[in-house]
Amino acid sequence: MSKFTHLIIFGAFLTASSAYAAKQQEIVEHKLLMDHGDGHLMDMDGGMVMGQNKDKLPGGCDKISGDEEITVRAGHKYSKKFPGTMFAFDKQEWRIKPCTRLTVHFINEDNIRHQWMMHGLPKYLYDKGMFHLEVTGPAKISGTLIVPKEDKTYLVHCDIAQHMEKGMKGQLVVGKGGGTFPSIPGLTDFAIPDNYGPTQIAATTSAQPAVTQPTAAQPLPAPQSSSNTGTFIIGLALGLFATPFAVSNFKQRFKGMSSKDVVIYGANLGKSLFDQAVHLAISIYRRFKK
Amino acid sequence: MQTRSLVFLFGSALLSLSTGAGAVTSPPPSAKVQLGQAEPFCNSGVPSEWRKAQVIEGVNIQESRVCNADNPADIAAFVKGTNNISMQTIMDTSSLAADAITKTNDMDGDGDPDHIIIKVEIMEVNGHSPDFAGVVPTFDIAPGIQPSFWVFAPKTRDMSTRSFASVEANPMLRMPSTPIRVEQGDVVWLVVENTHYFPHSIHLHGVDHPFMDHGGEGNDGVGQTSQMDIMPGQSKTYVIRPRQPGTMYYHCHVQPHTHIPMGLAGMFIVEENRPNNWVQTFNVGAGQVRHPSVAVLEKFSQEYDLHYQSVDKDLHKLPQAANDPRLIARAMNQEYDITDATDDYFLLNGRSFPYTLRESLITVNPNEKIKLRILNGHTETLALHTHGHKATETHYDGVEQNPSAQVTRDVYMMAPAQRLDLSINTTDDGLHSFGSGIWMFHDHVERSFTTDGMGEGGSISLIVYKSYLDENGTPKTHGMDLTPYFTKEFWERKIPVWQDWADDWGSLAEPAGIQTAAAASVTGTTGVKSAPDVVATDTSSNPLGSLFNGLLFGIAGYVLYLYRERVLAVINQLASQAKGKH
Repeated sequence: MSKFTHLIIFGAFLTASSAYAAKQQEIVEHKLLMDHGDGHLMDMDGGMVMGQNKDKLPGGCDKISGDEEITVRAGHKYSKKFPGTMFAFDKQEWRIKPCTRLTVHFINEDNIRHQWMMHGLPKYLYDKGMFHLEVTGPAKISGTLIVPKEDKTYLVHCDIAQHMEKGMKGQLVVGKGGGTFPSIPGLTDFAIPDNYGPTQIAATTSAQPAVTQPTAAQPLPAPQSSSNTGTFIIGLALGLFATPFAVSNFKQRFKGMSSKDVVIYGANLGKSLFDQAVHLAISIYRRFKK
Repeated sequence: MQTRSLVFLFGSALLSLSTGAGAVTSPPPSAKVQLGQAEPFCNSGVPSEWRKAQVIEGVNIQESRVCNADNPADIAAFVKGTNNISMQTIMDTSSLAADAITKTNDMDGDGDPDHIIIKVEIMEVNGHSPDFAGVVPTFDIAPGIQPSFWVFAPKTRDMSTRSFASVEANPMLRMPSTPIRVEQGDVVWLVVENTHYFPHSIHLHGVDHPFMDHGGEGNDGVGQTSQMDIMPGQSKTYVIRPRQPGTMYYHCHVQPHTHIPMGLAGMFIVEENRPNNWVQTFNVGAGQVRHPSVAVLEKFSQEYDLHYQSVDKDLHKLPQAANDPRLIARAMNQEYDITDATDDYFLLNGRSFPYTLRESLITVNPNEKIKLRILNGHTETLALHTHGHKATETHYDGVEQNPSAQVTRDVYMMAPAQRLDLSINTTDDGLHSFGSGIWMFHDHVERSFTTDGMGEGGSISLIVYKSYLDENGTPKTHGMDLTPYFTKEFWERKIPVWQDWADDWGSLAEPAGIQTAAAASVTGTTGVKSAPDVVATDTSSNPLGSLFNGLLFGIAGYVLYLYRERVLAVINQLASQAKGKH
């Protein structure tokens, strides 16, 4: 093949790539999924449903109590109302009646993968106790499950590294629910809150329990044994050589004073010494803290 | 400290007395420090079939004799593309996404695809959790050492961890960022899906790429000159058609002084164009390339990717210290100062010794020629040394050196970001090889064979002749017991390195009751206690406290001196009483 045709083909591919990028802005619906059994469906564009169950009744459910559909949107833009997050679902809680057949339409509005992954379902019906929707956006994928009879709160999250931690977390409450999960944006507090420093804490304590957590961000002043030995030796030298001078000095100063006067003088001296020592200690401590 | 103070007191007191009172202070006896729970040498759980040479989906896969061998289904998918293999093989991979690699269109009609779509995601391992005290998903570089990292990883599906019950990262999510291989002349769409919470980009260092693509978008990955960074939740396609082969480099160019050390850097290899040349697109965890390209196999029997990296542990703690991305950004961009930084951990292919022995061995037979592609991802110069071998430097930064001017030596100097191709010849001629054995290879800059200053650690690995390997990839070493290296306590500086060596009474063990600096710093680094607590409860570790102690002992010494006659009289009396009793 000549160089020229190469160039044409190359050009065509390069142009195609920009068309490809433009196409990505519309939401693609993933409908043609291959069934791999056990409720696991997949397509070649990264769409995936796990734990699909349209007809198997969970224990205790005589029949399907009703059909319900919810639409969940996911993306960076839903993190806007929750400071300190980066990704989120449009809602953080869904309430469903027991034994409902629930269809979830999951719309991912970002240009990356997101997941709507539910944990804690009975393992005899759902592999690993999971119901899971996953798609690379902007795209939509749908799946169906039948929720069990028991009142329970289920964790729903995106399991891509740091997505749950940075806000993509919610809960699905069946019946009256049961149990809670920490750090759901707008619903529950962090188990381990962040430290915003002394100036910020005053403003935020009303909302959060005032547990200040030491963070590794602050450098820990490590105890230094070598400098301690040094100060010890200085102290030793002071004690050995200054005590004779101090003793002779005090002998002269207290000549002719009554014992009461000596005690009062000593008390005053002690007080001023203590004050000075406190000042010194504070300034040294500050310097060390820096 | 207290015992040392006593020694000082008596020392000073006795010095001032001029009698030869015969008090003998015997140094403390040796105490044995118990080893903690040691991991077995090989705990990868890899089925032994994975190590064998085999053919999957028509792809020849070479044998891999290491403990943590690559999954052959992964290799098949990397070579054929996820679009050209069965759904079963995709399911057998380590959770590779169905759209991770698409290979189509044999444009030059030479029997291999020339349009390659490669998708990578940006992942954080050993990250913070607001829900519990540990990190997730975990990737240990050595026993108990989990610095946070960011990596370019092949696009995966499903969970980031091995299972819901495990916090261990999926095998695809690991250091280093995966090496990427393409063929010379391929049209490559490199799709970066930024799943991370910070902006990122890819700069194709040394790889032939146009500054702008045909769609008018910047293609150089440099925010200041080419195109705005890729924001969280966004993706970007880099379009290239490299005309020249060679060992190149790719890395994030956003705040690169922290993003490169954080792990967003990998090898990018352009293989020479040949007919029927299906190259292995990813080489997760680097190391042995189990499906070398046609051009490499013309001259060599094996090929290895070696990526050296270094870690300042203070930098890699920052993403673990807070959850709020604003706090992490502040700590990394405004507070962290790399000009005051020092490196603590040294990695070869993402791990430190002894973990390097599980996966980064170079396993050879006599009379072989092996190609090594090396990237210095350190912040400083690398001086790689191979024991028992003198290798030939064939390519610098991907460009071949004139064959008649190629240098054969045993220390290979590399500046940061440089790449070097080496040819190792295992012919036992006293020059290229000194014969079969277990030969170390390591960076000869001393600190880089330590892990945070504990030796031997760092980026040490081995060239092992296959007669010295058992079936699980354990080298049949002839020296010391390696067990202590597989305990967390060794890297926490708790184990005296030579305690069992010299004799059975431990003449190089630890004196009983010693307060080591290491133990103090260990409690400091765990971060369980806050610093002010430590200072307040333990006066002996406070400089003021020891000054005061010194003063007290000084006064006591003076008083002793003052009343020396009385003290001497008492001592003499006691001595004579003691004599009288005898």
